[in-house]
Amino acid sequence: MVDWLKELRKYMETDKQRAMDPDFMKEADSYTAWDEVEIGKEFPVDITFEVKADDLISYAKAALDDNPIFTDEEAAQKSPFGGLIAHPCFVVPISFWCAQSGHGTWVRTPGARNPGQRLEWYEPFRPGDIISIKRKSHDKYIKRGKYYLSDQIDFIDQHGTLKARRWVTLILPKTREDIRKFMKGERGVEV
Amino acid sequence: MAEVTFESVKLGDTLPPVQRKVDQETFWRFAVGSLDYNPVHSNPDWVKEAKVFGIPSTVGHGAMTMSLLTTVVSNWAFPVGGWIKSLDSKFVQPVLPGDTLTFGGTVTEIHPGRGKNKNYVVVELYGDNQKGEKIAVGRAEVTIP
Repeated sequence: MVDWLKELRKYMETDKQRAMDPDFMKEADSYTAWDEVEIGKEFPVDITFEVKADDLISYAKAALDDNPIFTDEEAAQKSPFGGLIAHPCFVVPISFWCAQSGHGTWVRTPGARNPGQRLEWYEPFRPGDIISIKRKSHDKYIKRGKYYLSDQIDFIDQHGTLKARRWVTLILPKTREDIRKFMKGERGVEV
Repeated sequence: MAEVTFESVKLGDTLPPVQRKVDQETFWRFAVGSLDYNPVHSNPDWVKEAKVFGIPSTVGHGAMTMSLLTTVVSNWAFPVGGWIKSLDSKFVQPVLPGDTLTFGGTVTEIHPGRGKNKNYVVVELYGDNQKGEKIAVGRAEVTIP
């Protein structure tokens, strides 16, 4: 048996990484299921993400990107961006941090599969930004026997500037009963 | 390598590729960096029975693949003040522990006439594994000064 929690903890180096529980199974029975979602609804998100330099550096290195614009504060100051900025896909940890409760928890569903994503970027994320998100259920559909769910997420800084927009789409188990199969270690999808 | 400018970009230009070898340690590190702790990436024992992708193996995060597609663009454009406006990515097949991945891109569209820092190009992106199998495709809009 692999002590996967111990393996994950080896890599935790920021306050947020240490604060967030890595066991997505624990509360999986409370996550929104595919067949429960109503499309077009907006959901309030109370959790914000305060961007720190070590958050940006940790993500870039985990994403195997050593571009100094994302990882070296001194070098980044000499870049056209004038300072450290986030790797564009830094929207991912912001999304998960802000999805610890409420409607967005479906992204944590055991058995979820990622078919692809759409993102738009308007301004870089920088240390000191305090990001809040606006979340809206965008679409759900069935394709080739698989159940897709998509939310639109807007990432807004403390000045009200829209920094990025993401359409996060996952293939999910259809029902809460299917999620429970995955929680028991069984396969909860047919395709 | 000469610095890229909007005027210098030509249709068919290929971006310098990015190659990375990944394993389970990579997946654990990315799980922490991304806060995406889906057990399909992190729990090898659970996935042997759950077989989320129909195989008894953990798989790499789609977001990690997406990040590496983006790296192809940011390595090329960001040093000159370019910016990625959008990315559409599709993950074609799972990334497995032990894979060696190669990502690259080709300029397929040029969009002028919008003014400096607004003119952009479209880059069609790909990711392959060591067997030459496609693991991802993408389309990025990229401004180049």
